[in-house]
Amino acid sequence: MSEPLTLDLLDKDGAIREALDEGMQSTRAQLFRRSIIGGGTFLAGGLLIGGLPKIALGAPSAAQDVEILNFALLLEYLESEFYIRAVDGGALNGNARLLNFATVVRDHEVAHVNFLQNALGSAANPKPTFDFKDTTTNAAKFAATSIVLEDTGVAAYNGQGPRLTKGTLAAAGQIVSVEARHAAWIRHIVAGPGYPNAPADYPAPAVLEPALTKAQVEAAVGQTGFITG
Amino acid sequence: MENNVKTGNLSLDVLDADGAIQETAAAVAGDTRARFLAKAGLLGGGLVGSSALLGLNPATAGAQSATRDIAILNYALTLEYLEAAFYTEAEAMAPLDGELALFARVVGAHERDHVKALKAVLGSKAVKRPRFNFRGTTEDAAAFAATAQVLEDTGVAAYKGQAPRLKSNALLAAALAIHAVEARHASWIRDINGEPPAPTAFDEPLSMSQVLAAVAETRFIVAPRRRRRRRRPRQAPTPTFTG
Repeated sequence: MSEPLTLDLLDKDGAIREALDEGMQSTRAQLFRRSIIGGGTFLAGGLLIGGLPKIALGAPSAAQDVEILNFALLLEYLESEFYIRAVDGGALNGNARLLNFATVVRDHEVAHVNFLQNALGSAANPKPTFDFKDTTTNAAKFAATSIVLEDTGVAAYNGQGPRLTKGTLAAAGQIVSVEARHAAWIRHIVAGPGYPNAPADYPAPAVLEPALTKAQVEAAVGQTGFITG
Repeated sequence: MENNVKTGNLSLDVLDADGAIQETAAAVAGDTRARFLAKAGLLGGGLVGSSALLGLNPATAGAQSATRDIAILNYALTLEYLEAAFYTEAEAMAPLDGELALFARVVGAHERDHVKALKAVLGSKAVKRPRFNFRGTTEDAAAFAATAQVLEDTGVAAYKGQAPRLKSNALLAAALAIHAVEARHASWIRDINGEPPAPTAFDEPLSMSQVLAAVAETRFIVAPRRRRRRRRPRQAPTPTFTG
């Protein structure tokens, strides 16, 4: 790859990176905030621990689960299409590690789509149409975009976790760690030998993973212009 | 969906010399049986403390939930103590270089911070750090790398197993935040090791007893050094009076 791989290739106005960085910086700065438990009693509700974003909580319900799972499904539709097109397009054929990453992750995201569609049944939203521009036809842009998509996916799932009923949380829990593995994997590929400027902790840049609200994720995805209908 | 963590077949008795592991499991199971009380009485330090921790005085459902949350956090803290100690020791003792050294440094710092965060949340309810013997895995680069992979994969499965059981949403958010970072660690070391970073589309949870059994199999947690018992003072002879 001749181009340096950075978020700049995708995140033109920095909206995505800003949201993620904010999450990571605030957790570092506030990590050691004194216990919320105080004299030994737990406080309930949407409280902050170590600067994690305060997630607005309505009571979990089956109806809310449907809304959240459709939100997750939208992201999985996006990711699966992105990887399908990147693999099919051939732009990655010159890089074995990238091609392997894209192929394996494509299959995972397709499995996630199938799982969520089955879980939602007739309530599943249909797949939108996408235009990934050159992020699926240019290897460097593909890699940079993968980082953003995977990081954002983890933050999206973690943002919704506390809003889910426990059964659905257990299912989502099986997906979110795989997305985190994807994120670390592509970051590791990008920051491998030949990229001496990558920070040492590039695969796992934060002590605590940031979470994003649904609105933040939707704004970030909207910024990409990937969803066209 | 394959389980990517080897647990083996073994019982907690195989290792749990000072009962720290069983204490944790009992607390989480809410076991109020007399034998756990008895065991608790025999142990020094560790989880032994307020009987409320063992779910012995369940006043209300709220108290039970907070009790279980505390037990889950202490379980997480125990695992983080283990990981932090493993990386700290490996950084000092193992001939690591290049990326392995970097990995040990970065991930060790994360685990030490996880310990601090969990201790801060638990306050006086935090269990003490166990004693460890890493059986040579912190002294050899290949053993370090293989063990790190197992520890990280196990950590992911452990947090995943407990997240739905937490009552507090704030603690759930924190658990999910740590869970994802452990998954990144696991993916990273797997790639370093030439293993698939994300071996399956869905990661499986492990229950607390499964994880504790896996930990016991490693024999990493060891009994604390026994304090020498003070001898009973010899009785001073009763003075006798003459005359």
